Parts: sequence; C-alpha cells; structure tokens
Amino acid sequence: MITVAETEKKFSEQSANLDRSVDEVFRTMLGVACEPAGEAQEAESGTISAVIGLAGAVSGSLVLQSGEAAARHMAGRMTGAEPDEVDAMVRDAIGEIANMLAGAWKGFDPKLSCGCLLSTPTVVAGSSYQLFSQRAPMRLERSYRFEDRRFTVSLFCDWPA
Amino acid sequence: MSGITVLIVDDSSVMRKIVERALRQAGLNLTRVVEAGSGREGLEALRREKADLIVSDINMPNMDGLEFLRQIRVEGLAAGAPVVMITTESGEEHVREALAAGAQGYIRKPFTPDQVRDRVLPLLVRT
Repeated sequence: MITVAETEKKFSEQSANLDRSVDEVFRTMLGVACEPAGEAQEAESGTISAVIGLAGAVSGSLVLQSGEAAARHMAGRMTGAEPDEVDAMVRDAIGEIANMLAGAWKGFDPKLSCGCLLSTPTVVAGSSYQLFSQRAPMRLERSYRFEDRRFTVSLFCDWPA
Repeated sequence: MSGITVLIVDDSSVMRKIVERALRQAGLNLTRVVEAGSGREGLEALRREKADLIVSDINMPNMDGLEFLRQIRVEGLAAGAPVVMITTESGEEHVREALAAGAQGYIRKPFTPDQVRDRVLPLLVRT
C-alpha cells in the first residue's frame, strides 16, 4: 500500500525526470530551450500524437501530443526546414522525439534503464480522436513551451519501483 | 582519412539525415551516403557495396540493429568497417549486448555532433 505522501513524492520525482528529459532532448536535438508550461491543456485542433509503449519493469505508454503548428515547428527545428503541412517527415520527427523522451526519462532511473523496453513509435494524426490508457496507477500529464509553441507529454504506467 | 562511404541504418528518415549531418559536422569527408530503413535493407545494401563506416539504430522493425550486426558478421559484410550503434537505450546491459554482437562504438540519443565526433573518429583512425 502506497501512502499519499509516498505517491506525492514519486509523482514529484517523475515529473522532474520528465522535465529534465524534455529539456535534454530539445536542447540537444532541436537546439532550443523548452520549459514546463503548467498543467496539461486541451490539445489544439489538428492534433498529432506519438505513442511509445513501455514494457518490462513498468508497463504503459508515453504520449507526446501536439497541435499541427507546434509539430511542424519541431520537425523544422530537427531538420532545418519547416514543412507547410503535417507530412510523413513531421510524423517521423514527432515519433523520434517521443522515442528520445521515453529513452531519456527511463535513463534517469537505473532500474528502468536496463529493465524497461521501448516500442517503436506509433503516430496518430487527426482531429477527432481521444487516447485512453486504462488502469495505469501513474498518470502524469505535463505541458511544455518552446518558442511560443506548446505541447503535452503524458506518462501512463505503473509506479517505478 | 580520405573520402568515405557510410551506411546509415535507421527506420526514421529524419534520424538518418541528422546522423549524416552530425558526421559531416564531425569533419568526415563523406563521398557517399547509403541509407537503409531497416536491418534487412542494410544487409541488402552491404551485399551490393562496401562501406567504410556503418552507423545503425537498434530498435527497428524488419530486423533490429543487433540482428543486423550479427548477420553482417556471419556473412563477413563489414570487411573491417567499424560499426557504431545509435539508440535511445542507455543501460549498460544494452551497451554490452551491442559490443558483444560486434559493435565498436555506441552513441545514445539524444546526441551532440561533438559526441558523434568523439566516438566515431578514433574508430576510423584505427582502421
């Protein structure tokens, strides 16, 4: 049985690890600072989501959710040329960013680093869908801001041991 | 080292471009860049032509990077070319597994051009 205090401590630790992961990936691969932007917000229309499955030491998923403009800007930052629309390159870039976020997040915990495997990314694009993850004890949803664009990263999984 | 041919194996075309850019920023004179979207495509590419450097992702569909690595050793396709794995997996176990399968280097994503230079250049000097 996990107490409320223990849950809050774990939540705080995992939030900090996620923030560090986002900062590391954006600074290194996109060359731009990215900071937490408060509570997760409703995704703007024209949403694109990248899902990375987690299996092993924890089971669940990491989801990066972004509007089209932010997704195109992320892809442009990675490749040097911002596309006019959400094309295969944007979907590819968003999937890779989600993959690196998941890798960086689990890398902060030695038990997860070796004991948790990542799936290849699944990317969903459109305006009429919702993502559900049932029975996940840990539900962490964080918004981030870079160059006036916002996106959300969610973790739905077991509490890491 | 004079101009080199590099084989970049990654299921993400964006990552293949980023790796190529990082290798050029590291000062490598790439005369030919061969791209493959899976381990299977990477094998086919090596059966067609020789590479001086092989850079591969690990987590890929249609033959992952470790199986690709084992196969190129079995078929003798590397021909002395160093193989560097690039992946999000950072655990020591993953590094050991890649090195045991025959990789000479390992770079964790996300990476900086300096990290790519530091890991790749010494391998090319050695060959």
